[in-house]
Amino acid sequence: MSYEYVVLKEISKKFAGGVKALDKVTIEIRTGEVLALLGENGAGKSTLVKILYGVYSADEGTIYINEKRVDISSPAEAIRHGIVMVSQHPQLIDTLSVAENLALGLKAFNAFTSIKKVSKFISEKSGKFGVKIDPWEKVWRLTYTQKQLVEMIRAMLLNARVVLLDEALTYLPLEEKRKFYKFIKEFTAKGGSAVIITHKIPEALEAADRIAILRRGRLVGIIEGGSARIDDVRKMMFGESAAEITYGKLQASQPGEEAVIETQDLWITGDFGENAVRGVSLRVREGEVVGIAGIVGNGQRELTQALAGLRKVSRGRILIGGRDVTNRGVRVVREMGVGYIPDSPLAFGISIDNSMTENIAALYQRKSMLVNWSEVREVASSLIEAYKIMIPDAGSLIKVLSGGNIMKVIVSKEINYCRRALIAHNPTRALDEVSAIMVRKSIKERAISDGVAVLLVSEDLDEIYQVSDSIYVMNSGKLYGPFPPDEAERSNVEHLMVI
Amino acid sequence: MRFIVVRRTKPHPYIKPLIIALSLITGMGLVAILLTLIGAHPFAILVTIAYSFTTPQVVKDMLLLTMLGCALLISFKGAVWNVGAEGQLYTAIIPIVWITLYVAPWSAGSPPHQPILIILASITAAAVFGAMWGAVAGALRAYVGIDEVPVTLIMNYVAYYVVNILVLGPFRGRYVYGYIRTDDLPDAYKLGINVVMQRTGNAFLDGFLEFIRVVVYYAYWVLAAALVALLTWVVFNHTTIGLRIKILGSNPEFLRAVGVDVRKTTVMALALSGLLVGVASAIYYLGDLTRLTYPIQAQTAGYGYLAILVVWLSMLELPLIPLSAYIVSSLRNAGRNMQIFGLGGLESTLVLLGSVLLTYSALRFLTEYEVRVVK
Repeated sequence: MSYEYVVLKEISKKFAGGVKALDKVTIEIRTGEVLALLGENGAGKSTLVKILYGVYSADEGTIYINEKRVDISSPAEAIRHGIVMVSQHPQLIDTLSVAENLALGLKAFNAFTSIKKVSKFISEKSGKFGVKIDPWEKVWRLTYTQKQLVEMIRAMLLNARVVLLDEALTYLPLEEKRKFYKFIKEFTAKGGSAVIITHKIPEALEAADRIAILRRGRLVGIIEGGSARIDDVRKMMFGESAAEITYGKLQASQPGEEAVIETQDLWITGDFGENAVRGVSLRVREGEVVGIAGIVGNGQRELTQALAGLRKVSRGRILIGGRDVTNRGVRVVREMGVGYIPDSPLAFGISIDNSMTENIAALYQRKSMLVNWSEVREVASSLIEAYKIMIPDAGSLIKVLSGGNIMKVIVSKEINYCRRALIAHNPTRALDEVSAIMVRKSIKERAISDGVAVLLVSEDLDEIYQVSDSIYVMNSGKLYGPFPPDEAERSNVEHLMVI
Repeated sequence: MRFIVVRRTKPHPYIKPLIIALSLITGMGLVAILLTLIGAHPFAILVTIAYSFTTPQVVKDMLLLTMLGCALLISFKGAVWNVGAEGQLYTAIIPIVWITLYVAPWSAGSPPHQPILIILASITAAAVFGAMWGAVAGALRAYVGIDEVPVTLIMNYVAYYVVNILVLGPFRGRYVYGYIRTDDLPDAYKLGINVVMQRTGNAFLDGFLEFIRVVVYYAYWVLAAALVALLTWVVFNHTTIGLRIKILGSNPEFLRAVGVDVRKTTVMALALSGLLVGVASAIYYLGDLTRLTYPIQAQTAGYGYLAILVVWLSMLELPLIPLSAYIVSSLRNAGRNMQIFGLGGLESTLVLLGSVLLTYSALRFLTEYEVRVVK
């Protein structure tokens, strides 16, 4: 019989800049349940689980575990209470093996325990959970799904009672996600609890026993997973804006003849000396949106970085507007009017310790000696309005914003900047449905109205199908396609992604 | 009831100067306790420290440290740690000695406009030398990947020995009475306005007049410090290089991704920093030092190192640089005065500086966090 293992009572939290992230939120997490947390960007979902995990402390409110009031001031404290978090990005050290990674921080082992003993222990435990992972495999060789599974095993090894999945499944294809949900169901069947944060409402409906919906820091309702209707959930999440949500294909472009982005037999070396991209040739024409689908870690990051001039190409050529820009560096590519939404947005997309205006000026005012701030402020205001960015003012530091609003700043400045081409890698990650659709429409609009050639790389097949004029699939560094979206069966594309 | 530490929802408008003031008071209290334990009178210590904040001797150090603090701020904002201001300070003096004593020495027949030209040439040459000295460390970090901290530090000693070699050899003066030093800077090239103040006999009034005399003497320094601070403000708020340096300090990968050459920006940060040190160096030499004595490492007042404390104390905030410079100068002055009044030796200066900075380190977290009481 389930009972309330964790109770978060009247939790409130304000962030720098006066942003109210949570306002007296009360939620209980029951044993043996999967609880989904849904909400638009900036609703406070991540903040809530981070408070439970000890990353943030609440300004007001109390946490009860097994009816006892507790203070969780750090993740170590949370783990002691059996609460473990798995985030979107695996927190593993790539150069170490699975066993070495898992040995770090596990109480069962000390500094003198041999890795052999650790690996034996891991094999036994992981076998019990029905997951096959070689403990001696270096982490960088694992697929993204395997890495997330390693994170789950770590949670199990830490004797987790509650697993917090903060968008941990966002990048997995549907089939892999289903396996993962099965794994979670087995965990909850044994008395554990799981809290899932996701933007995908259908998945939440499928996997969760209960769904809690947050809006602008407040809990607007909790509904039973089985009885919930998708439209009702959307309405609770977005209010009137829910009407804007559509997954229908956006208007098709009329591409020109000339290729704006072109690669010829491109080979790129990955971070560990492997051939991450193998002989990729593609063409993106003026006004065309070419989508590349694939599971994360199959060479997409290396490809987009090379196109942006951030990574050296070991063989082959990159042409932008007919000009050979192979290994010419970012400056040359940017000066040709190429926008770039990177795969690692916080590393390459923005500087969070600077203001929105400073971030815009760094890109837009590269050529002049003096910064024209009035021009920059004008751009910033128009982006804030067009993309509904929740920011105190354009001079505010980026770090005061929620993850979704940071993403909106990155995406909007790049979509607005590009004149000739846009390289967009997961442009709607961390965005709620309404914002994601708005961004997709903006990308399509630039392609149709201004003839911008768009290379869209995404792990989200819905996105690929909604925006692309032609589709490729990337797997193990190779490119398959192009396929016309109207003719390409989704199941075939998914199959190509995982073979 | 329990205490929790939470990140501030918005920055407290006066928290930074408050932390500095609180550190100062606590540090003074600490040093008074420590020196009392070894027999000094606490009241005498506190009075000496307080007095040291009001004496005219502070003016010169404060102005020079303000200039050097601004110079270091430029590189520190970019997370490029220029700890070589000391070396840049003395390297930049080399061309001044050469210009003022050998290229255009002053004589009775020299044209009247010569001093202005020579002073401007000296400042320019010092700025160029300082920039070049800084750029060497910048280039080593940017293109060879050698950490700039040990490089700039080692280059301080290289600078000392280069200056020593020059003073022992080509720069050794002719009118030095057996000392190993350069000739004095000709009076015509000196930056300083001498005014004579009549003593009134009233201690308070005479102290005030002395203060005025010192400020007037260093009027050029006041102007130079104001210009350096203004220039630093313009660099950070209106130029693309200033913006790039700020972003270099927070996310160099982003800078690279927008198409900026991160390596050039690193070199520029250190070169600009060295350039301003060069300007400060020229003002210091032309207005106060006026000659180089062998061995230079035994003569230096360590301004280049003190400037690091100034920037650190300012929390990399330009408006707080003069305040930090004033505090560091006063504390240095207090240490000197405690020695003069027999309240301690050289170590008392260090204990005083250490106590303030220790308290400051402990309180710094209050800029971003606040402590709340929760029931």
